[in-house]
Amino acid sequence: MIRGLALAVVLAVTVCGPVRGQTVYAVSQEGGTLTPVAPPGAAIPLGKGPAQVAAGPDGRLYLAHPDTRTISVVEGRSGRVVARLPFAGQPFGLAVARDGRSLFVGDWSGHRVVRVSSATGAVEGSVAVGRDPAGLVLDRAGRLYVADRESHQVSVVDTATLERVGTVPVGEAPFALALNPAGDRLYVACVRSGDLHAIDTATLAVVGRTVLGGMPYGVAVSGDGARILVTNQQAGTLNVLDATLAPIAKVPVGRYPEGVAISGNTAYVANWFSDSVSVIDLSTLAETARLPVGEGPRALAVLAQPDTAEAPR
Amino acid sequence: MRFLVPTVFLATLATAALAHGPTPQKVDQTIVIAAKPAAVWKVVGNFAGIDTWHPDVAKSVAVDGNAAGGRRKITLKNGGTLDEGLDEMNDKDFSYSYRLSDPDLKALPVSSYSATLTVTPDGDGSKVEWLGRFYRGDTGNEPPEELSDEAGRKAMNTFFADGLKGLKAKVEAGKGK
Repeated sequence: MIRGLALAVVLAVTVCGPVRGQTVYAVSQEGGTLTPVAPPGAAIPLGKGPAQVAAGPDGRLYLAHPDTRTISVVEGRSGRVVARLPFAGQPFGLAVARDGRSLFVGDWSGHRVVRVSSATGAVEGSVAVGRDPAGLVLDRAGRLYVADRESHQVSVVDTATLERVGTVPVGEAPFALALNPAGDRLYVACVRSGDLHAIDTATLAVVGRTVLGGMPYGVAVSGDGARILVTNQQAGTLNVLDATLAPIAKVPVGRYPEGVAISGNTAYVANWFSDSVSVIDLSTLAETARLPVGEGPRALAVLAQPDTAEAPR
Repeated sequence: MRFLVPTVFLATLATAALAHGPTPQKVDQTIVIAAKPAAVWKVVGNFAGIDTWHPDVAKSVAVDGNAAGGRRKITLKNGGTLDEGLDEMNDKDFSYSYRLSDPDLKALPVSSYSATLTVTPDGDGSKVEWLGRFYRGDTGNEPPEELSDEAGRKAMNTFFADGLKGLKAKVEAGKGK
């Protein structure tokens, strides 16, 4: 009983921070580092130019290095680079298959998505998408959504057959994508037209759109699906919207905010120009800390340790 | 065979216009000016008035006013052109943010950029910071030297530094009169 109370107090005190068993990482493209920001840890040197990151179900992180045509694999627990997979193309956006055995890799200048073995990097198949694939997101049913930046659309790929089953026209230069927890809404941030689109994943129709202005470069959805977070690079803000895309708040962060991730009741924003990560309490919608990281952070990932991770549904 | 050349040329142009690339680069230049921020802003705060203070600019034409959505069409002394649009205009905080619409590799060897100019108090004078994010002229994996990250960094830093020096000269000369 006393132990239970003590635990409750600890939980109440640590409302702002990552969920237990989760680690939030920031990847710095210019600095070539991966930094655990919550809980904080030492930066992991990765080599030149890691641009994007995806967390696997196996406690590993996968990082795309477009300029050196490689994907590095980091074991979260030890913080070690355990593999460097060659990639015949310009790797950028990444998604990890639910079983962790395959990766889906956007080939930026190849205008395709390639499925490779997460152990060896061997090519298992590929599918043509639009021009300059940026963000990739995989849903629980194995459907992959790809932001085709210079085709101004989202490609929808059935990963079982590796066939494109649809395209959804959106605004100009879609970059980042996020699914809500229910998986029935896909939010797409368009950098050039400065707007956010909501797509109904059942009908693949655009069911909502709001103009944010500036350059929205990152998007994330809260655990309850009620809040949509969008970074605006030109304004230096994290825009908070409700599920109807109505604005709730604009939280000032660092310069050129890009990637945004959520763990529990806390959001993390990669400030590309400021070389820092903003920590935002989603209850108060205020920045509670700004943590220094390597130069040019763009992307974030939330890694669940395999022993505390939810069993695959 | 005769029409092969124009086809290749057009294909190259199309790539440049569409290219964005996966590797952004920083540009950041700062200068201190012996004048109050309001006096500096009076010169630099008119977005399309860049031809009154930037020594590399031959001409600048305003389109659609001095607020978000407004543009300036710049002709450089080297003959290149830049079509830039305002995303943010903060007249109270003395800051604006804008971006390039279409690249002109003759003007600057970059495929795209966005930038912010901010005037802040610095002692009795002002500090002007002009910073931005750009992508090299050739966003592929083997860019020629003149379209590399290094070439872009050099050109962008030079353009910003030249501009700030010109701004300082203009504001400080005007103050003396």
